[in-house]
Amino acid sequence: MSDARIEAYSRALFEVAQAEGNLNIVEDELFRMARAIEANEKLRSTLTDASIPAARRQQVVEELLGGKASNTTIQLVSLIIGAGRGRDLPAIVNRLVQRASSEQQREVAEVRSAIALSDDQTKRLAEALSKSTGRKLNLKVVIDPSVLGGLVATVGDEVIDDTVRTRLEQLKTRI
Amino acid sequence: MKLFLSALISVEDPSQTHHWLFPEKAEILYGGIASCIVFAGLYKFGWPMIVKAMNARTAKIQKELDGAAAARSKSESDASGIRTALGDIESERRKILAEADSQATAIIAEGRVRLVKEVAELEAKAVADLAAARGRSGEELRGEIARLSSAAISSAVAASLNDRAQQDLIEGFINSVGASK
Repeated sequence: MSDARIEAYSRALFEVAQAEGNLNIVEDELFRMARAIEANEKLRSTLTDASIPAARRQQVVEELLGGKASNTTIQLVSLIIGAGRGRDLPAIVNRLVQRASSEQQREVAEVRSAIALSDDQTKRLAEALSKSTGRKLNLKVVIDPSVLGGLVATVGDEVIDDTVRTRLEQLKTRI
Repeated sequence: MKLFLSALISVEDPSQTHHWLFPEKAEILYGGIASCIVFAGLYKFGWPMIVKAMNARTAKIQKELDGAAAARSKSESDASGIRTALGDIESERRKILAEADSQATAIIAEGRVRLVKEVAELEAKAVADLAAARGRSGEELRGEIARLSSAAISSAVAASLNDRAQQDLIEGFINSVGASK
């Protein structure tokens, strides 16, 4: 999909979420959904398979997110999947997150962890990263078992990596 | 003819007086004159031809003698040339043999040097190949040890990453990032 189209879709999602008054929640849920699609090949192929009727793909989305995400998020994801743009959903959501963060004068900080963080940990981590980078951050936590343990935070071009995976890689290199 | 017949008849006739062996004087006269005429004719017409033929024969013989002398001279010259050539051939043969000996000696010496050099190179290559093979084996062994070690470490680390360890890692990250400013 062209950048213009991604921009247009992200702007539409942003406007809808803002109009519904739950931008932060929708943005966060969409972000998690996009990461889940990126990480799960089977889910990605199902949602982007043009041979599956759009109604069936939308039904999969509703079954997947039902009870776990807000209605607005479910409707927006269904809209993207129904329009046959499932393959571009991660890019659209990334653009949406950037837009929402810019709106709040914040920068996106993506943190990958092997396990979920508690609210307290998320809050303290956001504060620590803000203090470290000197910027206001919109923290997005991605559950990524491949990091094995520890955290890796990406803020713009800056990467703070203290994961077990990286340490093992360094150890392997030294060996 | 008549005279001849009469002579024959006279021989048969014992009454004839002339001698049975000597002719009559007239016959001698006529015979002598005829002989002189014949001889004169022969001298007049035959002698020049005889002289010419003899001169021609003399000239021919002389020519043949000259040709033989020339052939002999040429043969002697050829023989001298052949003797000279034989001498030259012998000299050339000696020269060629000497050159061949010299070249053979040089080729043998050069071949010996080349062989020694090639043997030295082959030995060096064999030593290098051996060292490389030894190094490869060592590297492969080290690589395999490293791979197994990494796998063992990864397995051990993954097994030790319980919830407590995960929380400690997260807290450690938060604290280190918070303290990094």
